[in-house]
Amino acid sequence: MPHETPESTTASIYGTHLPQMEAVLDRLVQCVESLRARMEAEMGINPVEHMLARIKSEDSMRDKLRRKGLPQTTEAALTQLYDAIGIRIVCAFLNDVYAIRDHLADDPEFDIVEERDYIRHAKPNGYRSYHLIVRSQQGYYAEVQLRTISMDTWAALEHHLQYKKPHKGNQRLIVQELKRCADELASTDVSMQTLRDAILGGDDS
Amino acid sequence: MSVRLLLAEDTRDLNRALTTVLEHEGYEVCPVFDGEEALDRIREQGFDGIILDIMMPRKDGLQVLRELRASGVFTPVLLLTAKAEVDDRVVGLDSGADDYLTKPFAMKELLARVRSMTRRREDYTVERLSFADVSLNADTFELSAANTVRLSVKEFELMQTFVKNADHLLSGEFLLGNVWHAEPDADIDTLTLYVSYLRGKLKWVGSNVTVSSVDGGYRLVTDPDSTDRVLA
Repeated sequence: MPHETPESTTASIYGTHLPQMEAVLDRLVQCVESLRARMEAEMGINPVEHMLARIKSEDSMRDKLRRKGLPQTTEAALTQLYDAIGIRIVCAFLNDVYAIRDHLADDPEFDIVEERDYIRHAKPNGYRSYHLIVRSQQGYYAEVQLRTISMDTWAALEHHLQYKKPHKGNQRLIVQELKRCADELASTDVSMQTLRDAILGGDDS
Repeated sequence: MSVRLLLAEDTRDLNRALTTVLEHEGYEVCPVFDGEEALDRIREQGFDGIILDIMMPRKDGLQVLRELRASGVFTPVLLLTAKAEVDDRVVGLDSGADDYLTKPFAMKELLARVRSMTRRREDYTVERLSFADVSLNADTFELSAANTVRLSVKEFELMQTFVKNADHLLSGEFLLGNVWHAEPDADIDTLTLYVSYLRGKLKWVGSNVTVSSVDGGYRLVTDPDSTDRVLA
């Protein structure tokens, strides 16, 4: 898994914790990989379309600490903010998101400290994703984002448009239309899940 | 807002008399005297109903009607026909007219038919339908409870049928006829799949409503599994 390496010349915001942090990241990836292997063997289903694992870059971490009015210390980076370690898992189908969530919850290495289901309760702008903050046994926090391909597509495209101010037309209409697109994609996700259930002949919902 | 009618009648006295009576009843009337003019006005502005005389110069009423329907204008049309012209009435209805009236007619009957023609339109556009915790927006096809999704056309029509007939058990045959009309490719498998889609979507918007299948029929119910949540 690629992740940004900190500048070696200055002291890292993460102090000497980077190796352990990378170990936690690897452990998270392993957890997902083990479920992937099991589901592929048992059902011929690969629940993971793709996965991004990263340690937040030095610059973004320092920026975020500054924005939040927190001190530029290793302690703040590792205990006041929870996304120094982050993994995004993009799934093919809706139910895969929940299968992975359950698998993570069952993993004794991690405790769930915060959980937000923005899939069942989409944000007002239409954003959908399942967010978890977990803590490893050693006390490292990690942010886990789970979503389907459609949700990932929407988030990526919305991000492209986010900072562009419209030349004409009103902002309200654009926000409303972005939400409509999100709702249409969400509808398709449910249809695709229904079709998979019909094809596999089981109802794993 | 008042109901807007286009009146196409080439006999000047009759045109004036009808306009006066309709306006007196509160309609906004646009009177025209031939078929070409009727088409021009309809293409310029929207109407809630159209009254077309068949015998008109430049373009007759049937020709106007065919051109309207061909160009996707589905505004209700009332045809005015002469008593002898049975074929015209048949051709008129087949060409997409909603109703006809034979000349000479009583003003009272014309008004009743205009009311019926414009009322139907209002009935068809019920904006918001709801059942228990779920609501359906007929303008946007949005299904909403705790969350929202957009339904496809057939999903919407099926859901709308369920909501409007919430008190009845609906047979598969009725649903296929009502939602899929006579589409040759639609069969019971289509219906079963669409019912599954709706169940999935109801669940994912966080509603406790689901489609239950009992005794070979379907109806909306509140999901017994979510009763606790409802009572809590």
